[in-house]
Amino acid sequence: MSLRVLNPNAEVLNKSAALHMNINAAKGLQDVLKTNLGPKGTIKMLVGGAGDIKLTKDGNTLLKEMQIQNPTAIMIARTAVAQDDTSGDGTTSTVLFIGELMKQSERYIDEGMHPRVLVDGFEIAKRATLEFIEKFKTPVVMGETPDKEILKMVARTTLRTKLYEALADQLTDIVVNAVLCIRKPDDPIDLFMVEIMHMRHKFDVDTHLVEGLVLDHGSRHPDMKRRAENCYILTCNASLEYEKSEINAGFFYSNAEQREKMVAAERRQVDERVKKIIELKEKVCSSSDSNFVVINQKGIDPPSLDLLARTGIIALRRAKRRNMERLVLACGGEAVNSFDNLTPDCLGWAGLVYEHVLGEEKYTFVENVKNPHSCTILIKGPNDHTIAQIKDAVRDGLRSVKNTLDDEAVILGAGAFEVAARQHLVNNVKKSVQGRAQVGVEAFADALLVIPKTLAENSGLDTQDVIISLTTEHDRGNIVGLNHHTGEPIDPQMEGIFDNYSVKRQIINSGPVIASQLLLVDEVIRAGRNMRKPS
Amino acid sequence: MVFQMQPYGIQAMLKEGHKHLSGLDEAVLRNIDACKQLSVITRTSLGPNGMNKMVINHLDKLFVTNDAATIVNELEVQHPAAKILVLAGKAQQEEIGDGANLTISFAGELLQNAEELIRMGLHPSEIISGYTKAISKTIEILDELVEKGSESMDVCNEDEVVSRMKSAVASKQFGLEDMLCPLIADACIQVCPKNPANFNVDNVRVVKLVGGGLHNCTVVRGMVLKNDAVGSIKKVEKAKIAVFAGGVDTSATETKGTVLIQSAEQLENYSKTEEAKVEELIKAVADSGAKVVVSGGAVGEMALHFCERYKLMVLKISSKFELRRFCRTTGAVAILKLSQPNPDDLGYADSILTEEIGGVQVTIVKNEGGNSVSTVVLRGSTESILDDLERAVDDGVNTYKAMCRDSRILPGAAATEIELARRLKEFSFKETGLDQYAIAKFAESFEMVPKILSENAGLNAMEIISSLYAEHAAGNTKVGIDLEEGVCKDVSALSIWDLYVTKFFALKYAADAACTVLRVDQVIIMAKPAGGPKRDQPAGMDED
Repeated sequence: MSLRVLNPNAEVLNKSAALHMNINAAKGLQDVLKTNLGPKGTIKMLVGGAGDIKLTKDGNTLLKEMQIQNPTAIMIARTAVAQDDTSGDGTTSTVLFIGELMKQSERYIDEGMHPRVLVDGFEIAKRATLEFIEKFKTPVVMGETPDKEILKMVARTTLRTKLYEALADQLTDIVVNAVLCIRKPDDPIDLFMVEIMHMRHKFDVDTHLVEGLVLDHGSRHPDMKRRAENCYILTCNASLEYEKSEINAGFFYSNAEQREKMVAAERRQVDERVKKIIELKEKVCSSSDSNFVVINQKGIDPPSLDLLARTGIIALRRAKRRNMERLVLACGGEAVNSFDNLTPDCLGWAGLVYEHVLGEEKYTFVENVKNPHSCTILIKGPNDHTIAQIKDAVRDGLRSVKNTLDDEAVILGAGAFEVAARQHLVNNVKKSVQGRAQVGVEAFADALLVIPKTLAENSGLDTQDVIISLTTEHDRGNIVGLNHHTGEPIDPQMEGIFDNYSVKRQIINSGPVIASQLLLVDEVIRAGRNMRKPS
Repeated sequence: MVFQMQPYGIQAMLKEGHKHLSGLDEAVLRNIDACKQLSVITRTSLGPNGMNKMVINHLDKLFVTNDAATIVNELEVQHPAAKILVLAGKAQQEEIGDGANLTISFAGELLQNAEELIRMGLHPSEIISGYTKAISKTIEILDELVEKGSESMDVCNEDEVVSRMKSAVASKQFGLEDMLCPLIADACIQVCPKNPANFNVDNVRVVKLVGGGLHNCTVVRGMVLKNDAVGSIKKVEKAKIAVFAGGVDTSATETKGTVLIQSAEQLENYSKTEEAKVEELIKAVADSGAKVVVSGGAVGEMALHFCERYKLMVLKISSKFELRRFCRTTGAVAILKLSQPNPDDLGYADSILTEEIGGVQVTIVKNEGGNSVSTVVLRGSTESILDDLERAVDDGVNTYKAMCRDSRILPGAAATEIELARRLKEFSFKETGLDQYAIAKFAESFEMVPKILSENAGLNAMEIISSLYAEHAAGNTKVGIDLEEGVCKDVSALSIWDLYVTKFFALKYAADAACTVLRVDQVIIMAKPAGGPKRDQPAGMDED
């Protein structure tokens, strides 16, 4: 072979061998992820090299955690991760769809079809499906007060595929309320404003939403209050500790008195700043039932803490940067960068601030705030893997709610869209296509069915039965999805099963692109030195 | 041609060295097996007659204990599924501080029974749904079984506390519970705040001193510090105390200071002013009425000298936490720098004296009026006995905390378990569908407790269980095993009670763990990460 002449060490696969390697890899990855799809999907246990446990049903987590080496599989996995980045869900579906496209193509290629023709068909089918999705989507109006029910349905659909039912239903409300809490009309939603905090404590069903903020550290002085009501909150990012000068300075003194003065002088600057805070406190907390809380992003040294504690101020030091932004959104006021010109307007307010100690860990709750624009989802669970699982699910749930608000549309779920799109392709589009590209359209249409098929398979139903009953019902003019308990067709609208429009769109967009690329590969060359194995 | 030979499927995709297990035989049953093995280890330690284990951990430290939490912690379980059980046990330990063994053993039993169901042909998802139903029913029944009139209790009444604490302590130190319980109860009651829900485990301290015997154990109202006084004054009574967090010494600047001396005269003067300064400070402290100075840092030679002169006792407590506890004990406020203390900042103790116990100099700080910190002084012949005693005391204190939150009790000595088993079985007959078998098995799993208890005590388990069932069917729902005589008796006569919360969390965590293990149908074990040997954990931030 020509390549051998050029580089005797290079490895090469050509023609059908290359194609089959790609197809096999796609099918292999599909097999791995297949069991994860849908509410009845099973859980996988990932054990890391260090022995750490991760339990997951989320395709994205799985792809990220698995150390995939096969080049084709990596390509597909990247597409799926991109899917997650743009829409937050649908990773498993993407992988399944790509795998199925490859599988369908394999049939035709084995019969002598050229991959190029199939790819042309894919392109036509993709465009037609994207047009179809526009017609098929259910628009929802998101005005000042969005329809909570729709949002809940979408969130529930997503969450139920990640967690078991009871927990998913509980999280649904939390997720929807969290997003609505941070939503400001006209501004894009920034999901970072929802703090996700976890506590290893109690059970997974004790997870709840805190309207306010939970910080994962406590005050650093034993005499500060552990619980305070009616609190003014000063959010600041200014150091309250002695800082050494940059240059190499030294003191010269010749008796102890002088030294005492030096010591006092050193402290003076910091003390001045503390005094300013205390002054402000005296000003706003004239009545005895209000309290004052300082939350500083920088440090507060023990003498300053002591001064603050003596005047009854609660001080938290070294808060996380991202929490500074959230604090201001949650409590109001503004974050100050210096203690000059402090006015009561800079202060936020919270009805209740308290510390919760859990073993060695301390948490500070800032609650009962007025008109919050930031909130905290407090995840509880008895162990780390439960918490990690909920965390991943919550993130996806939040994304799905945000997507719905952004898209202002939803798509009927439970496989209804796939069945409808397939029937549309076979009955209408295919006939309008000239020549052999029809085969590509057909392959694409059949590949769409992988979603309802897998849903049925994971529920222990007979896939062929299900597909036939679904398509017949559809041809009667009803839009139907799969009831995974019984295997009967149902109306997803009645059941409240909705998927994100953007998720489905992204799947239809990215799936065929990567499948086409893989199909059009006719030679795989590995040249260069293999780092892993000595030749 | 490496990749031409690659196999199909997941094997082709992952880094070399990974393992992939899936399906019933490879994943589910193997996981169950591993969990069974773990519970076999712990279950022989269940109950008062449980056997001790000798565990030597990776640091060559020897543990002789029957405390399941310690055992599984030191075993360093590697198997992922078994690890889930260990985590459940740990969660129980953190939540309640007792009942870890019940959690692990029960979860193991549930999984063992699940295996039988799987072999019968049930799908794991059916078992999970059955087990979930069963645990919620169990909680319902558990509510009904609560001993009447136990909802409210006087947490300051020693008898009531002891009766609730006894079974927890007895399961760790059988035979010693009658001696230990009053000690623990006494220590706990002393520090119980007005609102019992705020009881802090940290306020009951344990000091272990080798030598003597259990009879020498005492409770001290106050603290026992394991070090000597710094100066020559070893005993004071009814003393006010000044606490300095930053150390008792001359003050220093953060920036490096240099003494500028130009003549011999200045040199002489310098030390004089220095001396005068320190004397002034110490005098101010003495004038404030304090008789004891406690330092959180170094005590300077010169400062010590003046303290002696002004008849001040000097103590050094270098641990920040210990210092904080000391402040709580005496009601003192820690002052950062050496200066004249405010009268409000001074603490008070009835007596502070140093004593030699078993070759160790200890300082005993007593405060009869205070109710913030109490200390249990444990005496025993060896380190490991002391460690085990400490764990028993910890369990007792945790039980006290739990009863402060929820004082409801259940009949102990397996009476509750048999009743649960009986009622749950009745419930399973009413269920239709495949999960009734799972519920029945769940019920059967409860038999594990009386079985193990009697086996560990050398009794005939089958006989005991059948007679227990007979008694319970006759309506005597409080009949449990009397392990000493080997017969079934009403536990209210024996006064063996378990706390409701302990059982509640243990059963719930166990069922949760079992379901989690059953839910897994694929295990992917990743290859070891590349790179050198494992690095040590980076040093933490300045944890206070």
